[in-house]
Amino acid sequence: MTTIAMPAAPAVKVHRFRLAEYGALLFFAVVMGLPVAFLVLSSFNIAPPSKPAVYGLDNWARAFSDPGTLSALWMSFLLSITYLIPGMILSIAVAWLIARTDMPGRGAIEFCCWFAYFVPDFPMVLAWILLLDPNFGFLNTAARALPFVQGPLFNPYSFWGIVWVHLSTGGIWFKVMLLTPIFRRIGATLEEAARVAGANYFTVLRRVSLPVIMPAVLAVAALSFIRGLESFNTELLLGTPVGIYVYATRIYDYTRHEPSAYGEATALGSVFLVVLAILAYFYQRRLKGKRFTVVTGQGYSTLRVKLGKLKYVAFAACAAYIAIMMFLPLGFLILGSVMRRYGFFHLREPFSLIHWQNLFGDPIFFLALKNSLVIAAITAVAAVALYSTVGYLLASRKIKTAPMLEMLTWMPWVVPGILMSLGLLWLFLATPARSVLYGSVLGIALALTIKESPVCSQAFKSAFLQLGPDLEEAARVSGASWSYTYRRVLVPLVAPVAATVGLISFGNALTSISTPVLLYSPRSRPLAILLMEYSFSGEVERAAALGLLITAMVSVMMLVGRKFVRPLTGNL
Amino acid sequence: MMQRLMSLLCLLVCSSAAMAQDKGWEQTLAAAKKEGSVVVVGSPDPVMRSDIIPKFTARYGIPVEFLAGRSSEIAQRLRTERGAGIYSVDVFLSGPDTTATVYYAEKMLDPLKPLLALPEVTDGGKWKKGKPWFVDPEERYVLRPFSSVSSLLFINTDFVKQSEIRSAKDLLNPKWRGKISTEDITTTGAGANLAARFYQQLGADFVKKLYIDQKTVGTRERRQFTDWLARGTQPICLNCREDDVRPLEKEGFKLQEIFELSDVAPGINGSPWMLSVANRGPHPNAAKVFVNWIAGKEGLEIYARGYGSATLRTDIDESYLSAGNVPKANVKYFDDTDWNWIVTGRHDYREKVWKLMKEAKK
Repeated sequence: MTTIAMPAAPAVKVHRFRLAEYGALLFFAVVMGLPVAFLVLSSFNIAPPSKPAVYGLDNWARAFSDPGTLSALWMSFLLSITYLIPGMILSIAVAWLIARTDMPGRGAIEFCCWFAYFVPDFPMVLAWILLLDPNFGFLNTAARALPFVQGPLFNPYSFWGIVWVHLSTGGIWFKVMLLTPIFRRIGATLEEAARVAGANYFTVLRRVSLPVIMPAVLAVAALSFIRGLESFNTELLLGTPVGIYVYATRIYDYTRHEPSAYGEATALGSVFLVVLAILAYFYQRRLKGKRFTVVTGQGYSTLRVKLGKLKYVAFAACAAYIAIMMFLPLGFLILGSVMRRYGFFHLREPFSLIHWQNLFGDPIFFLALKNSLVIAAITAVAAVALYSTVGYLLASRKIKTAPMLEMLTWMPWVVPGILMSLGLLWLFLATPARSVLYGSVLGIALALTIKESPVCSQAFKSAFLQLGPDLEEAARVSGASWSYTYRRVLVPLVAPVAATVGLISFGNALTSISTPVLLYSPRSRPLAILLMEYSFSGEVERAAALGLLITAMVSVMMLVGRKFVRPLTGNL
Repeated sequence: MMQRLMSLLCLLVCSSAAMAQDKGWEQTLAAAKKEGSVVVVGSPDPVMRSDIIPKFTARYGIPVEFLAGRSSEIAQRLRTERGAGIYSVDVFLSGPDTTATVYYAEKMLDPLKPLLALPEVTDGGKWKKGKPWFVDPEERYVLRPFSSVSSLLFINTDFVKQSEIRSAKDLLNPKWRGKISTEDITTTGAGANLAARFYQQLGADFVKKLYIDQKTVGTRERRQFTDWLARGTQPICLNCREDDVRPLEKEGFKLQEIFELSDVAPGINGSPWMLSVANRGPHPNAAKVFVNWIAGKEGLEIYARGYGSATLRTDIDESYLSAGNVPKANVKYFDDTDWNWIVTGRHDYREKVWKLMKEAKK
């Protein structure tokens, strides 16, 4: 009986695995490939809006023949690379300190990084202007009091000003959030061996810890680079006054032309596809034939690296960075929300709670709050459920369609947010489920789940790559089914990453504007759209108050999440 | 005797017509309530959210579902919806450009004129032009309810004396180099629109001297140039908005709106919106009730007071406006929201401005 049953079991499991693989491929091809295909096809339609389609290359020719396009593309690359390099170095160091060392206050440092990530960037940029403006900036005014300072020391309206503000707003926070759980999975055995062999802390990090998490480092670098290319909010505020235009601004301009020119915008957006293909090539080449397993069934130590007295220095450096890059502008942002006019300290009675009162008095605030919480909760649960499976498939060496599946998971970031939103709008309207999806919180949640695909897939993939195959094999030998093994063995081991993905999805669902902007209806309007409306109508203070409220909501979720995940992960 | 009989007959006809009209209106109201709501597209300004929606809902018991956002995004959304056979919007309170170049041009509208039913709306005596002003070529789709004198620029008088800016050419004084802010003219918007007007009235050379040689400082964020004006960083602002500047004036900042320059024709515009109705809207009766209310005294006055613009109605007390905002009868104005100017003239001049800027940068 036993000899008959044993060979039959793997056949069924392989079949289910393939089913999951092709199911995922089909799902992603539909929800991610189709909108992009629709956009690319539309970019060749040169007929005026609402007229029968006529195809040609005019949109592409117009978009790329503009001399400003190439210089904007070059500026985007330059800016993106300039703040990516220090950002990656700092984030690797901070994530390692948090996850792998005995640095005091590491929990607080990690909390601050999470908190900073969800502070809305628009009022933060305004806060940096208040601090650094050459004419009225707080720091320049203070510096002028020094005897040896003549003119302004700082200028946010410059290339380096933009880089500085990016390090504060996008900065290292996002990277630390993704890298910390990956560092946590590294057993101490390798590091201890290196220390016994005489390596110092820096060598341990450089030669041992970093190479084993290389898939995550490369993925985070690629994600940050693409995000950098797509960024334009900071550049609009700080670059436009001095004539610094970036590529994403050109795309944004085409989308807001009247009548709008989405064809040209998509043509320009196609450059991201090329960038992605290049990044994917180097990523595969760098990792080919290597293994990154650090969690196996053969003993696992979570001991931390002891830094000695250096741990205080490390803490001081992290705290100083966070104080300058986060708390300094955040202080101005909080002040801004309780000022009658943001940054005008010399008014009679400059402080007031009127903007908070107006926020809570807005007739649509509570409906938007309820919608946002529902959307964010659905997005977080759906992202963890969907992308844990996708990450597992991508990390598995048995999958035949990995390159195709991986490429599809990147699609939502290949096209700028507003264009992806248009593609999804088209997709929703083309399906029989449109009455359920279009204009509903469910549709917005699905769109946001899709939009977060690159971050979530890569985070889970990196985590699963760290798990040794012996864990799965041991469970199967003990008679566990694939699904039981997945739920009870693998998922708990990637719980910290699952928590990170859940919280990032929750937070991004609360703050994302470009994804729901074409998909919401008055009944499903989320808080982020309300935030956009406040900013659009010049109500910066009310926008700041709402932004802070959203950040506070994410922070509460984070505390709840940590409490929930800790029992699953022991003392990690 | 005959005259008395005629008067009586006339009275009877008029009162029966009025009764029929009342009955018709009551039926419309009942049908509108049955439809449950009205979907309105507009700009996300606080007047709409805080005043118009609660007041209309309180008066008629019909909730307003308000879809707000950037007009280009909403237009694209509606195109895609309509391509899939979905018609979700009833009423447009949209800017002149979007109304003329998108909603009207792409045949998304139904005639509005037949929907105006209440006497206070249809009565020519209630309108400064002798009738409701339909500005589209067929004169029945798009109602223009506002007409205010538009400012040419704002100055901070702590830094710039009014006597120093008497003509547009005064802006070319080297003293103001780097001291003039504008909405970024390299893309569509108020900045490029004003540059197009300068180009049309003062020529390419003036535009080049103003925007290139004078190193005007551009931004896309209206809050940014309003703050620059108040702080005096750029004490001359070409595209500041009155509703943004008014709160600063109340705080004691010495800001002045300039309506006239000797070498530029004074202008009027139809901000903040034009009124039109979507074809195949989901709530036709509720839409009819809404357009009659918003074009009537109550609705229009609430909006005009909140926004600070002059209406074309005769029965609205305009004491809330500064004298400069109200068009004078004997002055010939350049109409910045004239239909032909929007559809062709401004577009062509804007293209010329962009070409000029690109050449100058080379």
